[in-house]
Amino acid sequence: MVNEERLRHMIKISGFDTNDGKACRPMMQYARKDYISLQLLRSFVTGTICFGLVLGLWGVYSMEKLMKQINSMDLKEFITTLLMFYGGFMLVYLTSTCIVFHVKYTAGRRKVKRYYSSLRKINRMYEREERLKMPGDTDRE
Amino acid sequence: MTTLLELKEKIVRFYGKNEVFITPVIRFLIAFAVFMSINSRIGYMKSITRTPVALILALLCSVFPANCMIFLASAVILAQMYALSLEVCAVTLVLFVLVYLLYFRFVPKNGYGVLLTPLCFQLHVPYMMPMGLGLVREVYSVFAMICGTVVYFFLNGVRENAPVLSGTGGEEDAAVSKIVVILNQLIGNKEMYLVLGVMAATLVVVYVIRRMSIEYAWTVAIVSGILFQSVGLIAGYLLLGITGKTYEVLIGNGVACLAAFFLQFVFFNLDYSRTERLQFEDDEYYYYVKAVPKAFVPGTDKKVKRFGRDEERLSKKQFAREMDIDEDWLE
Repeated sequence: MVNEERLRHMIKISGFDTNDGKACRPMMQYARKDYISLQLLRSFVTGTICFGLVLGLWGVYSMEKLMKQINSMDLKEFITTLLMFYGGFMLVYLTSTCIVFHVKYTAGRRKVKRYYSSLRKINRMYEREERLKMPGDTDRE
Repeated sequence: MTTLLELKEKIVRFYGKNEVFITPVIRFLIAFAVFMSINSRIGYMKSITRTPVALILALLCSVFPANCMIFLASAVILAQMYALSLEVCAVTLVLFVLVYLLYFRFVPKNGYGVLLTPLCFQLHVPYMMPMGLGLVREVYSVFAMICGTVVYFFLNGVRENAPVLSGTGGEEDAAVSKIVVILNQLIGNKEMYLVLGVMAATLVVVYVIRRMSIEYAWTVAIVSGILFQSVGLIAGYLLLGITGKTYEVLIGNGVACLAAFFLQFVFFNLDYSRTERLQFEDDEYYYYVKAVPKAFVPGTDKKVKRFGRDEERLSKKQFAREMDIDEDWLE
């Protein structure tokens, strides 16, 4: 006979495997600190690429102005300003990364907990069934 | 209200039974709306600006996830931009790379947020997006909304400057000036910054309030969000000196308010009159629990009791006797 409760838990874990399993794998492998550090590292790369692209677009946009000022420009000051912008941009980008992945980790961890709780219950049900099948079992009463 | 709840239950059951068919149909409709919207606004390449092409692409999207729809929509936009001007196509490509870096980094599962935002802008109801996303999605879905908003304003700028951008002229100066014109739509567009800022802040406000442990959290979140958004946009437009937007903002927010209350009815319909406050303890903690039941009408468990069958009908005489009144009074 079909054990309805077990079936319910199995549907839950199957749903997790299909929908969230892949996304939640890092939540099973890493501690929160490590997970966020890894994401910060990735964001550092993508953030730098983003800044490069924005800088390129701005360069084309302001090309005429830049060409006019190129001879009288204080290069040191220009680079310092650019670095300051880069720092500001990365600060915002990395802070966003921290917040977003902190929230994601919390939500993912909750799902993983629910998954393991269902898994434990199914395991217990199987164990109990095994015990019941064994001859001379006392749990039957 | 009971009728509405019953209807909701029926729709939920119907969706549950026919999910395999309904989901692709919804995907198809969204994709078709997206492609038709692209064709109607920036249809510069005649060969792909046709309804059958949009239908085929929408059919493809109906069986693939939302991210596939984003890729196809980007490809169609790039082709349209290429038909307009190579320079515009290059700038669009760079913009899309930026958008992808933001989208796939933070919200790779919020494809519909990115797709529906420009669509809502075109229908003059973009204010639904921060309300909807703030109510039913996570706070980081703000990035999906930002991507959609930037793409809409960019394409709108291209559309408005199409005659300038399509002008032929192989000179290097002409190419640079085209890029400057198109970038000006992004970098110098104060309205875009205002709308982006207010809508993003509204989404965060709605999300934070609806997560609060207060009664009627969703209602408070909706009202606060609508007020914040309306006042923020009207004040911003006044500061920027942009006129003629007040009615659009007010009507758009009115529609957003209705949509938000509809979402509340579908996703968070609680019956506060049956709130239970529980208190218990274990070895380590005291627990103060407030349990609010969902408003629910079980559709299939309804029992219909019939009254008024002929053989059971009370005679006037019987009724008058039971009520202790004169039978003549019932004439």
